[in-house]
Amino acid sequence: MNVLTVTLNPALDREIVVENFKINEFHRVKNPSYSVMDPGGKGINVSVILSGLGVRNVAMGFLGGNIGKVVEERMRLISDLITTGFVHVEEETRENIAIVDPLGDTITEINSSGPLVKPDDLRMFLRRFEVALSRVRHVVISGSIPRGVENDICRTLCKKVTDTGKLAFAEGTGPAFEMAVEAGVITVARPDLRSRKLIFGESLVDLNDYVRAAKKIIEKGAKLAILSYAIEGDVIATQDGVWLFKTRAHIDRSHLLGTGDAFMAGVVHSMIENEKDCFLAAKRGMSAAVAEAEYISKELISTKDIDEHIDSFDVRELE
Amino acid sequence: MKVSEAMIRDVSTIFEDETIEDFIVFCLRQNKSGLPVVDEEFRVVGFLSESDVIKSALPSYFSLLQSASFIPDTHQFVIRLGKIKDDRVSQHMVKPPVLIKPDDTVIYAADLLIKNGLKIMPVVDDEGKLMGIVNRIYLIHAATQGKIDR
Repeated sequence: MNVLTVTLNPALDREIVVENFKINEFHRVKNPSYSVMDPGGKGINVSVILSGLGVRNVAMGFLGGNIGKVVEERMRLISDLITTGFVHVEEETRENIAIVDPLGDTITEINSSGPLVKPDDLRMFLRRFEVALSRVRHVVISGSIPRGVENDICRTLCKKVTDTGKLAFAEGTGPAFEMAVEAGVITVARPDLRSRKLIFGESLVDLNDYVRAAKKIIEKGAKLAILSYAIEGDVIATQDGVWLFKTRAHIDRSHLLGTGDAFMAGVVHSMIENEKDCFLAAKRGMSAAVAEAEYISKELISTKDIDEHIDSFDVRELE
Repeated sequence: MKVSEAMIRDVSTIFEDETIEDFIVFCLRQNKSGLPVVDEEFRVVGFLSESDVIKSALPSYFSLLQSASFIPDTHQFVIRLGKIKDDRVSQHMVKPPVLIKPDDTVIYAADLLIKNGLKIMPVVDDEGKLMGIVNRIYLIHAATQGKIDR
């Protein structure tokens, strides 16, 4: 087993494609394939994409109720490279609904909050996490924090990872993620800027703001910082410099679903092969994201897709 | 057909020092009838099923009886269950557990399940660490699909 992914607040992703979607109107889904259910949550998405890249991994976190069982069962159906090891809680796992309108070029997303995690559930998870950690080298901790779990959880988990000399890949938002960045326990940090362009209390407006935030993440101890910039760009920082990656072709907003998780999976996949080269990892991450963006739904990309898209974006050195 | 092709890659488990009550909650939430028991190295050291818990909560002479109708007072069962709920899993698990490896054949797994009257069997690697489980319905399904002899 190479990789452990942690999704503390998984979801059943329901993606519905509706052409010319408008609020307050009745819509009918034209094609059954335009209404799909997938296991979701950022860590789970990374697990699924990694399985497509041939990487055996174990997915952990919290699931609950019948929706939780559906998520678990579907993950195992996707690939036998995925092993599940979730702690099951009393309340039901959440659903994330995405309404994709390819004609209007919009994605409307509604994410519910998810189940309450009680202290006993967390205690059981932490024990299982530590045992699982001894069997892997790369750990992805990604997504939102469920109710009942303190904001220091991301820092606690990443510290356990890096204290044992292993690599922690984290994506998140708000105080939980920033606390872990400040503690210098994340190896690869990717702030989730989808809902608000804000980090360390500062709004990200122009490119300089993104560069400053990326450099701060590196100063705190991360080896690689990735900040999504506009739709088609990413600001990348390592200890050697700061770059802007920008796709050559236009990407529709409706094709963005899963691209962030593909980016992270591409980085992890690259660092399994070459742990030291963070810039190469970022390039292969970007390539994976561009490859994923060719699909309207979440699809399994291959290593061949990554290789083929490695020159599909421009790299500009900023500092 | 090998076990690796028919196994469920799930490592839900219980540690040997967790309690019977923990086990009951785990099984209820996951709709399972039993769980592999592991140590801190993730080696499978036992197996605990709902049947084992029931046996532990019944009077010791129960195994000599042919029918539960001979038990004078079912309330005894409830009282004994209350007494063992805080016991460690290791006190009631079956050990050594019946185990199988991913490279073993499915027909061998079926043989072990039938001979030992099991519903679930842990699948372990060469170090005895948990990789997943096989259960009866998966093997029955494989048999009905004609895959079991391959």
